[in-house]
Amino acid sequence: MIDDDLAFAGRDKCAVAGIGQTAFTRDSGRGVLSLATEASLKAIADAGLTVDDIDGIVRCEQDTVRPYSLAASLGMKDLRYWADTGPGGVAPCMMMGVAMGALLSGQAKAVLAFRSLNGRSEARLGGSGRYDGVEVAGGFGSYDEFFLPYGLQTAGQTFALMARRHMLDYGTTPEQLAAVAMTCREHANRTPHAQMAQRPLTLDDYHASRMISSPLRLFDYCLESDGACAVVITTAERAKDLAKPPVLIRAVAGGAPRDHRAGMMFPVVTRGEITEIGGRQAGTELWRRAGMGPQDMDIAQIYDCFTISVILQLEAFGFCGKGEGGPMAASGALKFGGQMPINTGGGHLSEGYVHGMNHIVQAVRQLRGEADMQVPDAETCLCTGGPLPVGSSVVFRKAA
Amino acid sequence: MASILPNDTDRETAGFFAAAAEGRLVFRACQDCDHALHPPTDHCPHCGGWNTAWRDAKGSGTLYSWTTVTHQIHPAFPAPYTLVVVELDDAPEVRLVGRVDGTPELAAGQPMQVWFEKLEGGPTLPQWKPGAPA
Repeated sequence: MIDDDLAFAGRDKCAVAGIGQTAFTRDSGRGVLSLATEASLKAIADAGLTVDDIDGIVRCEQDTVRPYSLAASLGMKDLRYWADTGPGGVAPCMMMGVAMGALLSGQAKAVLAFRSLNGRSEARLGGSGRYDGVEVAGGFGSYDEFFLPYGLQTAGQTFALMARRHMLDYGTTPEQLAAVAMTCREHANRTPHAQMAQRPLTLDDYHASRMISSPLRLFDYCLESDGACAVVITTAERAKDLAKPPVLIRAVAGGAPRDHRAGMMFPVVTRGEITEIGGRQAGTELWRRAGMGPQDMDIAQIYDCFTISVILQLEAFGFCGKGEGGPMAASGALKFGGQMPINTGGGHLSEGYVHGMNHIVQAVRQLRGEADMQVPDAETCLCTGGPLPVGSSVVFRKAA
Repeated sequence: MASILPNDTDRETAGFFAAAAEGRLVFRACQDCDHALHPPTDHCPHCGGWNTAWRDAKGSGTLYSWTTVTHQIHPAFPAPYTLVVVELDDAPEVRLVGRVDGTPELAAGQPMQVWFEKLEGGPTLPQWKPGAPA
């Protein structure tokens, strides 16, 4: 067996030193490399660094911007390290771990992590884009041949099947799903750059919204968005002399569910219990590596591709028992002023969907004390990645 | 007419579609430890063996979950339609997806039965509909 001590070797050794983002819109009118470049330049400047100080780039494997393209656009002279991780929305938290690996093994001094997409105007994620003609789906180890030809095509439909089962097994209600949507919306209403900053959401609005894939309605879905986010990660030692207070990466952990099946997203419906996600295994290891628990988190950025995703993760990461995610969301505990506010910039549901990366940026803003809806005295923050097919997570903390 | 055909040439899954073309429903199982394996894999993760094979299923199951799709995505699948997830009676650890037209009244645990949909110019899909086999 592998010596467990290595699990703690990275604790508080690396930090996010800079953050940057573009506007989040429905149509950026620009290319994704242009968006990635803007977010990256802002993150580098925010850290008080220059492009010449960056020597590593990590990205999501679904990003169409390649690390060396971004390096070229930025005018980087010394690209020494690059890596992809994923899949999809799982990537941002794993990027923190990949960057740590590069920094602590001497392969890079300062790493840029980014996500850039025209997720509304160009390449819509999760299978909601347009199709034409005859297609052949699956094969080559993907296992999509068991799902796509049946009309199971989107992330939303997959989560709808999970939501239905959560309702059957635990009595979760549409009003509890709505509580997640309304919580994120209230936080967006206090965040000027959020796409839904000016649009309140009531329970009546929720009930009146059209059904997309039952039991999930329009407002159970996140906002397909155009935009980019970037962060600069370096060692905690280097970060303490830079422009902004460092936000330490306390621990990172990924996890696959006990009953994990081959394939990408759709085979989740073949798991013994489809409401069980890899966040449980990620969380168990994350808390061990962090030397902290759910009760120690002042705030959390919980990956909210759909409302049900948040409920599943509250349970998986140990904030409540199995089946208690719905009541917890409805209790108000997750709102500003509550026990542990979540998605404090509005999240994917109401700020914008930059595939998990805007959650990292928001976590850093809060722990620096510079967020629009600033949670007083926030010192610790959980950030989670997309819940399918595997989970990922990070604990950030304010440097002492 | 737009459609989505399954790739029935993957050497780890082709047997499923080859059997469907003959009107048979099969699932992969380990011949040594008897675990059913779906999605099908050559290697058994339960006992670590490679002695896996296709087994015939009798074509009945129960409904595990479903969603009625009302937002049109693909021209081959006009909304509304209902996606069903069915557990095989022969091996409840095997769950298969099917599509039922429209918005049927469904209940968890209700009996479902297989039928075979021959796709135009292509492979055959095992499909599912409410009801017990006659």
